[in-house]
Amino acid sequence: MKISICGIRLFPAALFLLLGACLPISAQTQRTDAGANAQARPPAQQRRFNGGGRNYKEYPPEVLENGHKFFSQNCAFCHGANAKGGETGPDLLRSIIVLDDENGEKIGQVVLNGRPDKGMPKFSMTQEQISDIAAFLHDRIRAAALRGTYQILNILVGDPKAGEAYFNGAGGCSACHSVSGDLAHIGAKYDPVAIQQKIVMPREERYRARSAAPETAPRTVTVSLPSGEMISGKLDHIDDFTVALTDAHGDYHSFARDGETPKIEIHDSLQAHIDMLTKYTDFDIHNLTAYLVTLK
Amino acid sequence: MKFLPFLFLAILPGALDAQMLDPALLLKPPADAWPTYNGDYSGRRFSPLTQINQSTIKTLNLAWVYHALPGETPRSIVGGEGPAEQPGAGERNPFGASIKSTPLMVNGVLYFTTPDNTWAIDARSGRELWHYFWRTKGGIHIGNRGVGMYGNWLFFETPDNYLVSLDAKTGKERWHVEIADVKQEYFSTPAPIVVGNHVIVGTGGDSLDVPGFLESHDPETGAIQWKWWSEPLKKGDAGAETWPDEYAMRHGGGMTWIPGTYDPELHLYYIGTGNPNPVMAGQSRKGDDLFTCSIVALNVDTGKMAWYFQASPHDTHDWDSAQTPVLFDGEIDGKPRKLLAQADRNGYFFVLDRTNGKNILTKAYLPTLNWSKGVDSSGRPIPNPEKEPQVAGVLVSPPSGGATNWPPPSFDPETGLFYVNSSDSFSMFYLTDTDPHPEGYGAAERGAGSLGRALQAIDYKTGKTIWKHDYPGGGGAGGLLSTAGKLLFSGDGSNHLIAFDPANGKVVWHAGLSGNVSNGPETYMLDGKQYLVVGAGDSLFSFALAD
Repeated sequence: MKISICGIRLFPAALFLLLGACLPISAQTQRTDAGANAQARPPAQQRRFNGGGRNYKEYPPEVLENGHKFFSQNCAFCHGANAKGGETGPDLLRSIIVLDDENGEKIGQVVLNGRPDKGMPKFSMTQEQISDIAAFLHDRIRAAALRGTYQILNILVGDPKAGEAYFNGAGGCSACHSVSGDLAHIGAKYDPVAIQQKIVMPREERYRARSAAPETAPRTVTVSLPSGEMISGKLDHIDDFTVALTDAHGDYHSFARDGETPKIEIHDSLQAHIDMLTKYTDFDIHNLTAYLVTLK
Repeated sequence: MKFLPFLFLAILPGALDAQMLDPALLLKPPADAWPTYNGDYSGRRFSPLTQINQSTIKTLNLAWVYHALPGETPRSIVGGEGPAEQPGAGERNPFGASIKSTPLMVNGVLYFTTPDNTWAIDARSGRELWHYFWRTKGGIHIGNRGVGMYGNWLFFETPDNYLVSLDAKTGKERWHVEIADVKQEYFSTPAPIVVGNHVIVGTGGDSLDVPGFLESHDPETGAIQWKWWSEPLKKGDAGAETWPDEYAMRHGGGMTWIPGTYDPELHLYYIGTGNPNPVMAGQSRKGDDLFTCSIVALNVDTGKMAWYFQASPHDTHDWDSAQTPVLFDGEIDGKPRKLLAQADRNGYFFVLDRTNGKNILTKAYLPTLNWSKGVDSSGRPIPNPEKEPQVAGVLVSPPSGGATNWPPPSFDPETGLFYVNSSDSFSMFYLTDTDPHPEGYGAAERGAGSLGRALQAIDYKTGKTIWKHDYPGGGGAGGLLSTAGKLLFSGDGSNHLIAFDPANGKVVWHAGLSGNVSNGPETYMLDGKQYLVVGAGDSLFSFALAD
């Protein structure tokens, strides 16, 4: 139960390795979970993963505009206005030729020579027009592949009146929040998606480790030692074997845990939001958002 | 192919080679070796070893640590079709270097991978024997689950979708063959599974609406033996009635990205298939979308499907059913049965008759699951259409990451319990592509709150959770291993490796590692000593009892 790597008898051969192994382990316990993770990752790895494993190019807007224009004039009739296929031409965004193309060299062959066997005529175009069309198609493919870049649409479908009633009634929001106090003008401060996100997840736990921003409403903990001494502060970390906190003076403390000893009480001021996850309907969430958005 | 008998004769003397894998080892529970991804074909990840047990574990010591450094060095053996100038590890791999593979241990050598990298290290000392580096053309570098072995040959897959074969003795490449096109956003993570003279490989890819498949290759030449598509390709094919048109089925996903399991008596290979595509926008693929999100049984010699069971009909939440289909024999209503059990990403636990795919039990193991209207007469969950992604957002549990994910579960035949690490969380799903023909994911997901993570012990006869250990910390707990030493090993998401009592979930032992457990722990005997090996981020830790 209390055995840890650094505290036990060793194979002689393992001693040397262990010295190296122990350093990061003991250092680890000095830090918060978040701090340890942030430090372990070089900056390049902190960037957001948008999806996709190809090296998608970014094109100047004028190139994309020209490409869109040439495409609409010459190609859309058969391949559809959005290049996803029409009555006679196939979906170009899922075409192997287009996916294999880099700068129009493969697309150009088809455009300039046509595909007589499939009923596609030849087109007379300059290399620049072809590469602009290629850029337009590649950019559309990129937009679908990189899900991290998707834009959430208009989410305001709720009923503000119903949201207000829920806020003051069944939702229990008014027990902690006030529309003239902490939530005053919230509709002017945040967009609707951000407001809805704050309702369902006020603490951005998932990305906290990668963010330099201070934690929103951190959990607090009181540790009652067998001696009777009690220590409280911001909860830095808890697992089955340790609990760690930072007290009001900024001092860090960690304690070994053995079952119920020491006694630990955790307080989460955002617990009501977590409790609501199993109670909300989607209508409640949409209505609440619609109401909070009106608080300009 | 005609030369095959001669080649086979030619390698027979290799039976004396120190590295060669005896195929008989693949058919019994792992003891003197860990010769395939799950230790044996059953997927139980149960070891009969007892030297490390509830009494002796008090003296379990660190034997060695191996710190893996992915990337090309002057000592690396180099292959690959990509440019010599390779992007930095961090640039190529935004997920960080993490050992997700379960090392094979054959004749005293451990073989394991990270994306683009394969190592052989001495299982006694952790000393590196060779390192092979693959220069990549691209592909998502999220993880790699390891190698397969046939005789002296190793096989692994790359993020840019090559099957590569190495000589286990030297790490020198024998050949590589392309199995899918990285330009179509396929990327490959599975460990190949070797059954007889079949090297079975699958692939992944969700970004550009491509069809999934599983295929078998010849271990000597790399030539393809059979290919099974996870969807019908044209009208009239089995399952075609569950898609609106041929276009939808040919772009319908169903990836095969976690190694499957195998029953040598039934001659069937079992694998779970991934989600349909477009991933979260279902409007262009109305219907059940077979055989995505399904457990399927394939004849291992022909690739022909014997049966299927669909876990998530018309999935719109990225809930691959790729989790290990675990095989064991049990008793149902007093009668001996050949069973298959899976804790699915969608939050349901399934028990099937593995001879015919008939459902025996379906039970939710995730308390917060909110997307289904119940279970139909054939044991399939009934999706609630109101919980499909909507423009204004819907709150769904589990999130796309699932109630569980790829980290391997375990089944202990002595307790009769199925163990799985689970996550009780919510996400908002926003439909972002309202076109009649959406593309890619077609929706955005934003994480909502979490009620926590737990290790659950599920009784396969009832589906009830017999005990549950809540992890107070937050991270992913990794994979599981149970042993006849009455021990169940898991990570805890807070950098520990923990041994539990598999009967009741009591914590028996723990050790702090340099990171979260990132693979499935394994164990084997070497020189009369039982070793326990586990990956934690970029390091492998090995433990054994004090002498």
